[in-house]
This record gives sequence, structure tokens and C-alpha cells, in this order.
Amino acid sequence: MSSFEHRTSRIEHSTSHERTSMLNVERSLFNVSVVFVARPAALHAAYDWRRSMCDVTVAIVSLCISLSVIADAYAADPERLTTDGTFKRDPVFTDSGATLVYGYDERPDLVRMLKMNVADRSVTPVFEDAGNRHNLEPAWSLDGHWVAYTQCTGNLTARLVIHNRTQNRDAFVSHSGRGGTRSPTFSPDSKTVVYAFAETGPQQLWSVDVAAQNKKQLTECSGITNWPTFTPDGKTIVFANSRENNYEIYSMSADGSNERRLTDNAIMDIRPRVSPDGNRIAFVSTRDGNYEVYVMNLDGSRVQRITNSEERDDYPTWHPNGTQLVAVSERDGDFDLYLYDVGPTQLASGM
Amino acid sequence: MIDFGSFKARDCGGSTRRSFLRTASAVPLALRAGLPTPEAIADAKHRARAKSVILLWLWGGPSHIDLVDPKPDASMDYRGPFGTIDTRTTGLKFTELLPRMAERSDRYSVVRSMVNTNNGHPGAGTVGLTGFEESPGPVQPNFGAIVSKHRGQNGSLPPFFYIGRGIPRDLPTRIEGYGGGTLGKAFDPFLVSASDRGEVSIPTLKMMPNMSPGRISDRRQLLNQLDEDRYRLDAANVAEWNHKYQSAYGLLTSAEARAAFDLTQESAKTRSSYGRSTFGQGCLLARRLAEAGVPYIQVNWSEYVETFTPGGDWGWDTHIYNFELLQDRHGPIFDRAFSALLDDMTDRGLLDDTLLIAMGEFGRTPRISNRAAREHWNQCYFSIWAGAGVQPGRVVGQSDARGEVPVSRPITPLMAGTTIAELTGVGAQQRAEMKVLDGGSVIDELF
Repeated sequence: MSSFEHRTSRIEHSTSHERTSMLNVERSLFNVSVVFVARPAALHAAYDWRRSMCDVTVAIVSLCISLSVIADAYAADPERLTTDGTFKRDPVFTDSGATLVYGYDERPDLVRMLKMNVADRSVTPVFEDAGNRHNLEPAWSLDGHWVAYTQCTGNLTARLVIHNRTQNRDAFVSHSGRGGTRSPTFSPDSKTVVYAFAETGPQQLWSVDVAAQNKKQLTECSGITNWPTFTPDGKTIVFANSRENNYEIYSMSADGSNERRLTDNAIMDIRPRVSPDGNRIAFVSTRDGNYEVYVMNLDGSRVQRITNSEERDDYPTWHPNGTQLVAVSERDGDFDLYLYDVGPTQLASGM
Repeated sequence: MIDFGSFKARDCGGSTRRSFLRTASAVPLALRAGLPTPEAIADAKHRARAKSVILLWLWGGPSHIDLVDPKPDASMDYRGPFGTIDTRTTGLKFTELLPRMAERSDRYSVVRSMVNTNNGHPGAGTVGLTGFEESPGPVQPNFGAIVSKHRGQNGSLPPFFYIGRGIPRDLPTRIEGYGGGTLGKAFDPFLVSASDRGEVSIPTLKMMPNMSPGRISDRRQLLNQLDEDRYRLDAANVAEWNHKYQSAYGLLTSAEARAAFDLTQESAKTRSSYGRSTFGQGCLLARRLAEAGVPYIQVNWSEYVETFTPGGDWGWDTHIYNFELLQDRHGPIFDRAFSALLDDMTDRGLLDDTLLIAMGEFGRTPRISNRAAREHWNQCYFSIWAGAGVQPGRVVGQSDARGEVPVSRPITPLMAGTTIAELTGVGAQQRAEMKVLDGGSVIDELF
């Protein structure tokens, strides 16, 4: 049996997690091979000093690749944070990473929000008296004072709730008629909530202050606009829009100007989330056949695939450390939260 | 709460295609090009017989444009946000929400020219399940009731099952065409439900508060309890009560029935392949019931049409969040469950003599609403057909450039019901004797 056949056999007889790990190692080895093969032939020629320099370069590149292999190995062996298998969505870290909030199907007819103590994995409801209403898409302000989420209030109607944690008081953002708000997110200064809503036509981005006042429309796009996320300096909003026949990811200045397209695929690129250092974006795409999590630089360059499974990987959210993210991964039919290591930004940008 | 009569699933539980080939070889090239000759149709229908029917009832009205009939060249206010992907069928594209089904399109056919006469849920549901409007009455029997009457009960398992949380309903109103209709309540479906973990329960028995699983095997105690409950009902309901409880009791004390309901007898791989959803596990239960010889099984996507409402269980009625819900929940669940069921039936040779259908009561508006969603649309929608002699890999009917109306022969629920009847042996003579499906015709293009 050749080494390739052996590896293939191992992959065929492995579990999905093992398979993911092996595929990532394979991918890393492939990257190493590419680096050595791509070594310019001219450097093998007459000038020994250049050859020496080249060897040094190769050594440095090899070191970097080795480190990237480590990063990939971490990424390939994610830490499973939940084990109940219930459908989950919208995870988000709070308390500097000590708490993980997410939505889950408490019953076939009810979505609740839970908060997990990451240290001991214990979970408690975000709101004890949530009643019989779906609560989903939680967002946490950086200062920890505010929670925004979408709440089902009646048949085919949902509103944005901005909860003041300090005063235990709610403010509500409502629009006329039926409809529902989507995907709230806080500005880094914790003063503004940006969300998506379709009031009289194409779905746009809106903003409102934490007192649910001063509501205003931020975008005037065709297509469906969704999933806003701020850069840490508050100057840029990244979002997705469907005007090009499918969802693509864009960035714009917080005032709506300077729009720039970051992805270009025939199928969806959704749920962008800017990293805590503001250099990268985690997102979901079906470009490889099903829902997978990817990371790219803020300008759309250097796309890195984080998950690799025949099942679904969705809802990525950054850990505050900026080197890990959590996603909802479906494995053997179960939906659980997994912690993926994606490596620090400098390694990703150097690859 | 322990659901009396439930079968707890544990976490680690422990086709031939000859009929298709015979039919295909007997059919001239014209049939393969989608133009069947009358002789070929007659031959196919003669050979094709469904021992069982599994209907996946997509309650609430799934968007045809966002699933199996995308319109990427339509203007932005029609086409929606989803990209399109190729399938194994030439000329057939799906949206990116159904990648597994796209990989298997050579094992089923898609009808893209369904039309319903009613545009409201309960009414359209009755048309979708009986072929006729509710009014003027009387309400006609569900297709399953017709098959049930024709086949009768064989063994302890009732001939017509509903799998789901309850009789499909809009918030205040259930589908009147859910059951026996003019054939009588004796031909109503028997309701069982499957949780997302594969626990099967019989909702009918939940009203017996004093019963516990430990007492279930004590026949005398159970009968006493049944009698006590019966006396609490008025005389008018006793006959119906007797029928339901006798059936339920028969199921609980029957080894055959208990075995059919026990999803833990499936491998963990098989159970997980369907997905951890009530619909997915319901599809697995349907396969087991078909394998056990039940003639007609209807798997209900949800009890309520409402997709986003307090108490609603995520029906396909996506007046808001259409695109988000199809992408987050409905698309992946349906794609996985349907594909797993198709694979499972193929592997076990069930597709030879089991008819598998997926459809709802209507589609959704091709034009995107001002709430970034889609409303009801009964003028054009879809159904999916596989097995029991249905020629796979076909696209029957076409919708126009916006998905608003069929541009080729419209297919009605009455035609769907007549095709089901024909394949299950309820021929024209039997239909006339039952006074059902009057005026219906078979969807010839499927054969």
C-alpha cells in the first residue's frame, strides 16, 4: 500500500472528527510541498550566496509553515463545548470570554437563550421569565451593560429588545405592521445598535440608540441586507447583501459611504463577524458544497477555510482572544458548539 | 413528563431497480424525452404498484422559487438571495439550500406546475390532501383514507398513519380534509409523533393521567383505565373514542407495533443520517412503518402553519423571515431528511414498491414582499415523486420566467390523489364505488 493509499484508507475508516484532523494535516503538508516546489529554479544557479540566502529563506518559510501546521492542527481538533445535540444558533461571547450566550431549541416550538459558564460548562437561562416567546440573535455590548435581541411578540411579528442589565429594564424598537428585526449588533462604544429590517421594500440596515430612540435607516441598497458587524474602531460596518444574485459580503464606513465588495462567489457568503483586533472577518459560505466557516482578512484577501465536514458548520463568533472562534457544528446529526483555533492574525496574514 | 406509550431512544442503539429497468426498456425513446406514448403509460402503470405511500406534507406552503424552481434570471424583486446549483438531472437546477437532494435528483422527479384552487391554509390543505374544496361539503376523504379503506387493516398496525405533533392546523382551524371525510371517521389517520431524539409517542393516550409505563403491560389495569375514561365522555363520542383507544391499546400491546416504533433498533448511523429534527426522525419512523406494511403514512412537517409565532412549530408559512428561516432551518432539515429517506429506501429496495411524495398546499409569491419575505401563492408550486414505478430524473411541467404560473400542463392535487390511488390499486372502478376522486386523472408524465 502506498503512503497515499494508506492515508486514504485511514481517512475512509476514520470518524468525522478524525477525518477533519487528517484532512487539515494533509492540507498543511500540501502547503509545505507547494512552498518547496515553488522555489525559483534560478536560485539553484551560479551564485552560491544566493543559494545560501535561498536556503535561509526556505528555512524561514518552513518554520512559518510548521507553525501554520500547528495552527491548523489546533483548528482541526476543535473543543466540543456542548454535548446535548439540540439545535443551536447565534453564539456570542461576553465577560471577556468567560461566558458564552447562544440560542437553542428548548422545545420544538420555542427558541430560548442560554448562557454558559465556559470554565465549568454550566448553563443557565439568560432570562428566567422569558415566557412563551422566541428570543434569539443575542448581542452583548462591550461595556457589558446592554443586551439586544430579537423577540417574537405575536403571529409573524418580532421586535428588537434592548435590555439594560444594570437597571433590569427593557426598551423596544418597533416598526409599523408585521415584520421582524434581524441580527442586532452593538457599536464598539456601546451606544448604538445596528440591525436589519424590511419596512417598505428591500431589507436595509438601521441604527438606534440604546434607549431605543433616534431610529434611522443606514443603507439604501437593493436586495436583502443583513448581518451587520462593526470593526473595533467603530468606523466600518461589514455586512452581507444579495444584490449580485446571491449573498456577498461588503464593508462600508459607519455613515454608509465608501462601500466595498469583499467576496465574489456564485453562492452565499453570509454572517460576517469582524475579529476583536479588527483585522479579519469570520463568515459562512457554501462555496465548497455545504455550510462551512471561513476567515478572511478585512479587505477580503487570504480566505482560510476553518471547518471541513460533510455536515453543517454555521454561526461563527470570535473569542475575545482573537485567535479562536466558536461555531455551531452539526456532527452525526447533533448540533453543538465547538471552539476552533484559527491562529493569530500575523500568522494568517503571513501564510 | 413521561409520555405514556412512548419508546425512548437511546443514544447508541445498537433496489433492486428491476421494475424501473423493465419499464424503461419497454418504453420508446419518446418517453425518455418526456413524451410518453399511451401504451408506455399503460405499461408503466400496470407494472407499478405501491404497497405503501409516504407523503411528506410540507405544511404552510414552501417557496418553490427558493428551493426547486429558482429563477436566477428574474429581476431582483423576484429571484431571491440564493445561488443556484446543478443537479444530476439535465436542465434542473435547485437553490444552494438543497445540495444533498441535488446530488440525488436522478432518483426522483419534480413537478413544477402544481396549482391549487385555494389560497388559504386550511382550505388549500383540504384541497391538497383530498383533491376538492371543503365547501360545498361534504368534505372528501384524505388520499390516505381512500387507500386505507381499500387495503384495510392487516395485523395490529392501522393502515393510515399521521406522524407529527397533531392534526395540521392554522392557528384556529385544522385542515378539514385531514381524515376519513365521506368515508367516515373509521378511516381517520392514527397519530404518532417522533421527537428530535427519536422518541415515539402516541398523543391519543396522553389524556389518561393515571397511567404509567409500568402499567402498560398490565392488560386488565389498562382496560379498566380505558373504561373509566370512556364513561367521562358523552355518548356521541363513545364510538370514536372506542375506535381510537382500541387502536392505541392494540398498538401498545402488539409486539409488531412496538417494534415498528422502536427507532433504537436502527443503527446510530442511520438515525443520525436523518438529522436530529422531529421531521427527520419522523421520516425514519415512516420508513419503518412502510417496511412493516402500513399502506399510507403522512409525515407532517409541523402541526401549525405559522413559522414564527408563539407556540408555532416552524411551519413553512414564511410571511416574515422567509430567507433567513429557509437558510437557517427549513432548507437544511428538509435536504437532509429527504435525502436520508431516499438513500435508506434505495438501500433496502423499498423504492420498488413504495411511493414517496413531498409537497405542500401551495407555493409562495414569486415577488418578494415589502417585508423581505413571500406570501401565499397557489397558482404555481411543486411536488416531488419517487418510487413505485415513477420514472426518476424527470421534470414535469414548467413555470414561467418568474415562477408565477405554469406554462405547460397544470397539475392539480386531484391528479396527485388519483395517481396515488392508481398506484395503490384503487382503480377507477373502486374509486367510483367509494365515490371518491371523481374526475381525476393520472399524472402520466411521471411514467
